[in-house]
Amino acid sequence: MFWTVTLSLLEGFVNTLKIFGMTLLVALPLGLVLSFGSMSRFAPIRFIVKIFVWIIRGTPLMLQLFVIYYVPGLVGIWAQSAQIDIPVINLLVEWLSTWTIMDRLAAAFIAFIINYSCYFSEIYRGGIESIPRGQYEAGQVLGMTKSQIFFKVVLLQVIKRIVPPMSNEIITLVKDTALVNTISVYEVIWNAQRFTKTDGLLWPLFYTGVFYLAFNGLLTLLFGYIEKKMNYFRS
Amino acid sequence: MAFLEVKNIKKSFGKTEVIRDISFSLEKGEVLAIIGSSGSGKTTLLRCLNFLETANGGEIIVDGETIFDAERAKKYTDAEKRKARLRFGLIFQQFNLFPQYTALKNVMLAQELLKTGTKQEIEAKSRDLLDMVGLSDRLNNYPCQLSGGQQQRVAIARALALSPDILCFDEPTSALDPELTGEVLKAIKALKNSDRTMIIVTHEMNFAKHVADKIIYMADGIIEEMGTPEEIFENPKSEKTAAFLQSSKENDGV
Ligand SMILES: Nc1ncnc2c1ncn2[C@@H]1O[C@H](COP(=O)(O)OP(=O)(O)O)[C@@H](O)[C@H]1O
Ligand SMILES: [Mg+2]
Repeated sequence: MFWTVTLSLLEGFVNTLKIFGMTLLVALPLGLVLSFGSMSRFAPIRFIVKIFVWIIRGTPLMLQLFVIYYVPGLVGIWAQSAQIDIPVINLLVEWLSTWTIMDRLAAAFIAFIINYSCYFSEIYRGGIESIPRGQYEAGQVLGMTKSQIFFKVVLLQVIKRIVPPMSNEIITLVKDTALVNTISVYEVIWNAQRFTKTDGLLWPLFYTGVFYLAFNGLLTLLFGYIEKKMNYFRS
Repeated sequence: MAFLEVKNIKKSFGKTEVIRDISFSLEKGEVLAIIGSSGSGKTTLLRCLNFLETANGGEIIVDGETIFDAERAKKYTDAEKRKARLRFGLIFQQFNLFPQYTALKNVMLAQELLKTGTKQEIEAKSRDLLDMVGLSDRLNNYPCQLSGGQQQRVAIARALALSPDILCFDEPTSALDPELTGEVLKAIKALKNSDRTMIIVTHEMNFAKHVADKIIYMADGIIEEMGTPEEIFENPKSEKTAAFLQSSKENDGV
C-alpha cells in the first residue's frame, strides 16, 4: 500500500511542480514588467498597474482561481443567448459565444501567474527603489545610457537585495499550489484525499507534507547558495 | 575666450532660487576652488555643470563650443546630453563606486561601454590610472574591502578614465575620517601637477589655498567674492567672506 500511495502522490506532485515551474517561468519576467509599470512616469499607466496589483493582492488566490475557472464559461453561455444586432459588437459576441469552461490546469496556470506576477512586481519595485540615487548618477556622469545603467550597474544590486524576499515568496508558492485542489486539479493533496475517500486512510494525507518539505528543503538550500554567491559585495 | 565659460547660470527648485546668477571662467590647466557655507548652492552648481540638474538659465561653453544653453535645454536629446557631459567628470562626496565590481572593473566599465579602445588598451589605461592614485596593489579588491580614502581614489581614477576636459570634485574628503583625507588631497595635488583643469568644492581651506589658482566664495546662490588665494585669504574685500573665513578658522582650531 505504501508504494501505491507514494506513486500516486508523486503523480500528483508532478502537477504541483508544473504549476510551480510555469508560474515562475512567466511571473518572474512579467512581474518585472509590472514593476516598471508601477514606477512609470506616465501617470495613467502607473494608476492602472497599481489598481490591478491592489485587486490581485487584496483578494484571496482561491477566489481568483474560481473566477478564472468559471467566468469564461459563463460568458460563453451568456453570449450564446444574447440578441445583439450591432455589426461590430455582433462579431465580438459571436466570438465570445465560443468560450467554454476552461481547462482546469490552464485556469490554474493563469490564476497563479497573475497572482504571483503582482507579488513579484512589488518585490522588484522595493528592490529597485532601494538602490541609492548616487549609483544612477555615477553611471550618468560616466556617459552611460539608461539601459546600460540598469543592466550593468543596478540590476545585480537589485538581485542581491531581492533574493531573501523572493525566496520567501517562492516557498509560499510551493505551498499555495495546494489551492488548485478547489478546482479539482489533481495535485498531491487531491490524490491523498482519494485514499481517504476510497480506503478510509488518513495517513496519505499527512504523508503529503513530506513532499512539500523535501522540495522546500531543496529550494532553501538553493537560495542559501545564491545568497552566499553574492556575498562578495556589499551594497 | 577662456577654456571654460560659465555664463549666468540660474537654478530653482520650485520657488526656491538656489543658484541665482553665476558666471565665471577658467583657463586650461587652472584649478578653481569653491568655498562657502553649506546650503549656499555649491553642489547644485556642480550638478548643473554635469547635467545632473538642468539649469533654468545660462550657458556653458567649453573650448569654444556651447555645450549647454538654457534656451535650448528642452531640445537636448539624451545622446547630446551624454556627449556633452563627457566634457566634465564628477567625483562625489559619497564616492558612489559600483559595489559589485572590483576597483579595476570600476575604472574599466564606462570605457568598455563607450568602446574607447580594445580590451587590452582599456585595461592598460585603467591600471595606469589606479597606479597613479597609488592603488596598483588594490586592483582586484571590491569597494567594501577598501577604506574610504582608497574608495575615493578609485573614484578619481574612474572619473579620469574617460579623459574629461574638466574634473569636478564635490567635497571629496567630507565623508572621510580625518586621517584619510591626506591621501585623497595628495592625489588631487598630483593631478594639478599634470595640468588638469579642475573645479573643487571643499571645506579644507588650507588645501584650497595651496592648490587653487582661483577661489570663489559662494553665499546664497551667488558669487560673493572671487579672486586669487592671496586676495581671498589675506585680503577679503567682502565682510561676508571675512566672517566665513574667520568662522572656518575657529572650527579648525577645535
Ligand atoms: N533637488 C532639490 N530639491 C529641492 N531643493 C534642493 C534640491 N537640491 C538642493 N536643494 C536646496 O538647495 C540649496 C543648496 O543646496 P546645495 O547645492 O546642496 O548646497 P551646498 O552644496 O552648498 O551645501 C539647499 O537649501 C538645498 O536644500
Ligand atoms: Mg554640497
